[in-house]
Amino acid sequence: MSDTIPTGKLARSGIAGSALLKAGSRQLTHAAKRPFLSEPAREEQKLLLDDETARILFQAFSRLRGTALKVAQMLSMESNLMPEWFRREMSKSYHQVPPLGRPLIRKLMLQEFGKSPETLFSQFEPQAFAAASLGQVHAARGDDGVELAVKLQYPGIKVTIDNDLQLLRTLIKPTRYAKLMLSSLDEIEQRLHEEVDYRQEAKNTEWFRNHLKLPGIKIPAVYGDYSSKHVLATERLPGLHLETWLETHPTQQARDHFGQRLYDIFVHSFYGLHALHADPNPGNYLFADDATLGLIDFGCVRYYSADFVNLIPQLLRAYMDRDASQVISKYRRLGMVAEMTEDELQAFYDDVLQPFGDWLTRPFKAGRFNFTNQGVSYTAEGWASFRQIAKVRKINSLANEFIYFDRTFFGLYQLFERMGACIDMQHEWLL
Amino acid sequence: MKVSKQEKALTRKRILRAAADVISERGYKSASMREIARRAEVGDATIYNYFPTKEGLLYGYCEEKQREVAKALKQIEDFHEYSLREQLQQLTETELALWLPDREFLTEVFSLTFSAPVAGAVNLAETRRLFNRMVEEMIDAAIEAGEIPEQPYRELFAPLYWDYFTGILAYWLHDESEDFANTTQLVDRSVEIIAMVLHTAMIGKALDLLSFLFRSQVSRHLEKLGDYTGPWKKAKRRFMDGEDV
Repeated sequence: MSDTIPTGKLARSGIAGSALLKAGSRQLTHAAKRPFLSEPAREEQKLLLDDETARILFQAFSRLRGTALKVAQMLSMESNLMPEWFRREMSKSYHQVPPLGRPLIRKLMLQEFGKSPETLFSQFEPQAFAAASLGQVHAARGDDGVELAVKLQYPGIKVTIDNDLQLLRTLIKPTRYAKLMLSSLDEIEQRLHEEVDYRQEAKNTEWFRNHLKLPGIKIPAVYGDYSSKHVLATERLPGLHLETWLETHPTQQARDHFGQRLYDIFVHSFYGLHALHADPNPGNYLFADDATLGLIDFGCVRYYSADFVNLIPQLLRAYMDRDASQVISKYRRLGMVAEMTEDELQAFYDDVLQPFGDWLTRPFKAGRFNFTNQGVSYTAEGWASFRQIAKVRKINSLANEFIYFDRTFFGLYQLFERMGACIDMQHEWLL
Repeated sequence: MKVSKQEKALTRKRILRAAADVISERGYKSASMREIARRAEVGDATIYNYFPTKEGLLYGYCEEKQREVAKALKQIEDFHEYSLREQLQQLTETELALWLPDREFLTEVFSLTFSAPVAGAVNLAETRRLFNRMVEEMIDAAIEAGEIPEQPYRELFAPLYWDYFTGILAYWLHDESEDFANTTQLVDRSVEIIAMVLHTAMIGKALDLLSFLFRSQVSRHLEKLGDYTGPWKKAKRRFMDGEDV
């Protein structure tokens, strides 16, 4: 019965409730065992607990599907919140959600186009081949024989999103990650509301297709005749998703090649187009045999002001030079309001910002940086610095743009690490 | 003038359509046979040849709906490739889709049936038979194909599904969510469970369990009644015998 979305409010609270109970009793077991364990054993036990809590959360999330799956995807990007296996499971689940049954597909098609899938398309595969944001993707063939990827949205997902988020908040509250996850949820909620409307995504996809002209990058064409608010048909691109691609044991050269492509996309979109594909979810990239990189799923796109785009390289430069006053002045121009005395500010810079900056600019300083996890995870280190910044209460505001930018940047580094890629970081934008 | 069978069927349909419209607009009580006849463009007397009573129209329309549903399902080309779960869900969804333009009408049917359950059940007998026929067909096909095991109490399932479906309709009539999304999801979830029950032949097993419990309990109590000797030892005395009243 894996293809269930328990959508009744009751069913959902049931799942959330039972997961909560389980997590709660685990915590208790853990606490009770503690006094009898030696120090290293205690550490080990703690890791196990984290695994177990994550497993329970994962179960609850995947049983809730729909919104929860999406939220889990987003949370799993925040690497250190979740154990390694959790991230792996989650990145699998991007693509392995069991499909909506034929009756619902039919209903959705009739609702959106007044036609059944078999009359609308010359061929339609009733089994989904991938999960997508709030839906699933089917292979189809249009009238002209072109191969399509048709994304369908779970019917009525909009109705349940708010309920789901409320439940997830309740579910997360008693865990030790509560503060971090809850703050992420607010932003996720906003993103979800945008993602529900596939027409926005169609527009974004077309915009990037027209503007992001880089060699070796493919962005699928949108087929408007087969698209609506809840259905999005695009040209089907070849290629494997990250995890499947990694299972083929790609050569170092291939890893570097694709990593570099990702970095180029990032720099070019941000610096050249003032826009980012702001969801560096591994499910959004297709690694093809012919060395081209497919860019799909433009549900979350952020646009940046020229000011912001100009200031970011300056900030990075200031960090590289370890120039405290420049760093702080750039942050101020980026909208940071810190209620601190000069001394406090200096201390903040020394204790928090400079370590973060050192971490952030290490790849840039190296020129060519190897992200491969060699015992020490580069992104895990960075996450610690991130958390330091989040803890400072006296920073009242930061440009909203910053949050998305940070996430994208960080997500990209995580991808490089997962790929084990060596990236040429030198770029015109930093000069 | 001789009226062909085909024409007759068309007229019948037209009358039913008109009845549904008038009943939806005015409510069952205020709808008159005369107005329905006029709307259907048949003579005031002719309508009685087809439907002697207004009740006949009400339930006749429900029956007609079942035939339309069956037809719509037959038109889905790969319907026989659907799993039983998908077929049952498609049946439910098709019912809802075809009832959608007649929600008001259905509300009338519900209130009449619930205000007089016995009469309602009798009047809906044909509708239920047509509905159950579709369900039985799906179950039989699934058993034949080996999709689900032989069901010990197979004949129980269709009436149970009818009851379930009536519940779904009632929920749907009160559903205020956008595009009736809640009903869609309720159906999606509940059909899943129903399919699970069928895959495990659970109805049969549950009944076996019940009957086992019943028999074992009854036999235990029979032992307690060990001195029960059957027929009375002597005849009962007369009621208030010898008393003056």
